[in-house]
Amino acid sequence: MPGDLTLIGFGPDGWGLALARAGLMTLYVSVSAFFCGLMLGTLIAWARVAGNWPLRKLAEIYVTIFRGVPDILVIYLFYFGGRQVVTAVGTALGLPGPFDISGFVSGMLAIGLISAASQSEVLRGAYQAVPKGTIEAGRVSGMTRFTLFRRIIAPQAMVTAVPGMGNQWQSVIKESALVSVTGLVETMRQVSVAAGTTQEHFLFYAAGGVIYLIITTLSDQFFRLAEKRSLRGHEQGGV
Amino acid sequence: MSLPSTALSIAGLHKSFGSNEVLRGIDLSARDGDVISLIGASGSGKSTLLRCIPMLEIPDAGTVTVGEDNLSPEGGRLTRGQESVARRMRGHLGFVFQNFNLWPHRTVLQNVVEAPLFVQKRPRAEAEEEATALLEKVGLAEKRDAWPAHLSGGQQQRVAIARALAQRPRAILFDEPTSALDPELVGEVLKVIRALADEGRTMLIVTHEMGFAREVSSQVVFLHQGLIEEAGTPEQLFGNPSSERCRAFLSGHFDRNR
Repeated sequence: MPGDLTLIGFGPDGWGLALARAGLMTLYVSVSAFFCGLMLGTLIAWARVAGNWPLRKLAEIYVTIFRGVPDILVIYLFYFGGRQVVTAVGTALGLPGPFDISGFVSGMLAIGLISAASQSEVLRGAYQAVPKGTIEAGRVSGMTRFTLFRRIIAPQAMVTAVPGMGNQWQSVIKESALVSVTGLVETMRQVSVAAGTTQEHFLFYAAGGVIYLIITTLSDQFFRLAEKRSLRGHEQGGV
Repeated sequence: MSLPSTALSIAGLHKSFGSNEVLRGIDLSARDGDVISLIGASGSGKSTLLRCIPMLEIPDAGTVTVGEDNLSPEGGRLTRGQESVARRMRGHLGFVFQNFNLWPHRTVLQNVVEAPLFVQKRPRAEAEEEATALLEKVGLAEKRDAWPAHLSGGQQQRVAIARALAQRPRAILFDEPTSALDPELVGEVLKVIRALADEGRTMLIVTHEMGFAREVSSQVVFLHQGLIEEAGTPEQLFGNPSSERCRAFLSGHFDRNR
């Protein structure tokens, strides 16, 4: 009977616990990838805004590469290609095999590095949207570069950055489904295993959709709050 | 009786933007209590001159002295060591921009206490008390918790003046403080600046308001193509300018305003 709901429950025949764990893993991979992207993206944005010529060029090349290559290819490159490299290095060092690399680490890195490219663009745009006069007013009051960034630039850049970063986070969550190709048991992997085992494809893929929707909807609320806060004092309102 | 000491001085200042030589050797100094108006046609270099004092534009050659500190940048750049001297100099100056440049994400009071708290590291209670008094002085005590975006241009500029005063500056620099204002709002800002002149504040004012310059200045400086063409008391300069160019500039100005 299609739609036997005990299958997704927490009973003895239910996949509920496994699905919940998989949902947490999706969240875990996504958060790690997002922050990995945020750190690298900040560096890249900084290089493009304030770096010297070679740094700027390097950052531009990075962005061009990671925005122009399919995500799934980068994941394969890191996971399968990475394993090959590790094996080659390990063998050369005379270490005993077999060599493996974690699906979590390679998938998280792949998505993080891809996300860094687009996050850097969001951050760079946000910096450029800060009115130059307000930065001059900070400099002329004697602020150090750090104080200027913390007190004047960052809070104003948030206004543009927060909605853009919300979008980046959403796409990181969705891209995390691609990490299932490494065998990492996150939501996508878990629902396809369950669907295959029980032959209840519709039920489990729908359940998977609900898990993603729960994560994206809840995090959307968070970004809305952050956006509202960043808008303080601006014409659009805010608290 | 000793003369008041020099608050700031400029010597041999040069500045180019690309092939355009905007300042071609400027010497100028202000003693404590001086009110110096800088006048001249647009493009004469008066705003650039003002912006060179706190190193918002970095001169190509020349020396700027503020109080005990001086800088002689070369090639339009500051070294790391010069950068920290520049910060100290900026701390002793107040700067009022044509477009106010209040920080939109901070309330009126927060704008005024920002530098006292985060640059000068003064205690909050003291900074807020002083800021409240300054807002009262510019007539905006009741707006202390308002956002800048909710104020008129004249009100924003008055907050900007309070913000400059909160740094307890040795001198205040005004870059066309009324040029971005609707005509009916000019008066309230000039009134505040006039009151500061009466208090004996040291000020450099780039302005197109000739009547105002004549009234408040101890000295008026006329710039032409990056050089000081004529300088003197308001009576000399407005009453009987010796330079033909200055005469032409002033008559053009008063004709237009008539």
